Amino acid sequence: MKALLIVGSPKGKASTSYNLGRGLLGRLEAGGIEAVETTVGAALKSSEERHRLYKAVDEADIIVVSFPLYVDQLPAPLIQTLELLADRKRGAQGATPWAGPLAQRLVAIVQCGFPETSQTRPAVDIMRQFARETGFQWAGALAFGMGGAVGGRSLEKAGGMLRNVVRALDTAAASLLSGGLVPVEAEALAAKPLMARRLYHLAANWGFRSQLRKHGARKRTFDRPYS
Amino acid sequence: MNVLILDGGPRDARGAACRKIAAATAGEGRAKGHAVTAFELDALVIKPCQGCFACWLKHPGTCALRDDQEQVLRAMAVGDLWVWITPVTFGGYSPALKRSLDRSIPNILPFFTTRQGESHHPLRYAKRRGLIVLGTLPAADPESERIFHDLVRRNALNLDSVLTGSRVVHDGEEEGIAGRMKGLLQAAEEAI
Repeated sequence: MKALLIVGSPKGKASTSYNLGRGLLGRLEAGGIEAVETTVGAALKSSEERHRLYKAVDEADIIVVSFPLYVDQLPAPLIQTLELLADRKRGAQGATPWAGPLAQRLVAIVQCGFPETSQTRPAVDIMRQFARETGFQWAGALAFGMGGAVGGRSLEKAGGMLRNVVRALDTAAASLLSGGLVPVEAEALAAKPLMARRLYHLAANWGFRSQLRKHGARKRTFDRPYS
Repeated sequence: MNVLILDGGPRDARGAACRKIAAATAGEGRAKGHAVTAFELDALVIKPCQGCFACWLKHPGTCALRDDQEQVLRAMAVGDLWVWITPVTFGGYSPALKRSLDRSIPNILPFFTTRQGESHHPLRYAKRRGLIVLGTLPAADPESERIFHDLVRRNALNLDSVLTGSRVVHDGEEEGIAGRMKGLLQAAEEAI
């Protein structure tokens, strides 16, 4: 059995999306599944890379798409990638014929900088709709909030704050390994806030001010160059 | 009223319906005496957002990437009514429209604020603004259309829009769009 991770963040392997996706993939690997990973940025670089993605998708039994929330939904290059996969699966003119197995499970991991995971709802719906239109088996989604607090840090070593993130990944992986879908328990664990919303706002806003100071841009914070 | 039209349809035949709707909307807007700015996004060079946040933290308000998105950002800043047109893509927007929207974050501020009980970012160019999004689909698809309307509502909340409209136009219905736009423009004039 094979699993493929597609990272939809423009930051590729330096992203929170990769960290979370790799977290799930690692658990699947530990359960005996062969794992492959790629990024949307790499796949869209050239025709050769696109065909490498097609081949990886064809060979995968489980496809994990992990991405950040951009303006309430998927980042543009990920939509473009899904369109390419859909064109191919629908047998659109000029598209390379689909050769994948019939039952491929599709899992989405979406993370946003907002504390409320409810803000990811359209993104999850779009992934489910993609599965419906293309014939993938929708296996569910893990939606995480406060992505900035996860970042690239080791999920296992981060301790208490990320304990529900780790438990969500553990629970989802166990179910996928036994041929199931992402269980509602895993979805609920993923949706638990890492800290109080007020505290997150305070920490994030302090972080933004600190970064602005570091870059010498504090006085230009509210600039309106297009007024 | 400054009306900004972003046509997110592809340049090939699949974008024909979007082009018709964009032309009808621009025509109605001008006939009503509004200043209309329209962009066919797929014809512009707009690179994908890199997620670097330099537009918030290094040179606030301007993007690190230099391309045609800068003229779109300028028009967004002064726009009173934004009209987005897109093929409905898995319930969402086309890559061309989304590429431009992803690159619109220089026009918002980094800080978190609470709006209608949710976390959002304040606008760099706050003003009374309306948002109308028109999607095209070959035929009716209730689930895809439900996702689309929900997404538009979420965008409107994010943009603190005072007027929100979303419509899905099926193949063959493009001709009637001018009449529908008349009503939407009237509603926008009253709300903004």
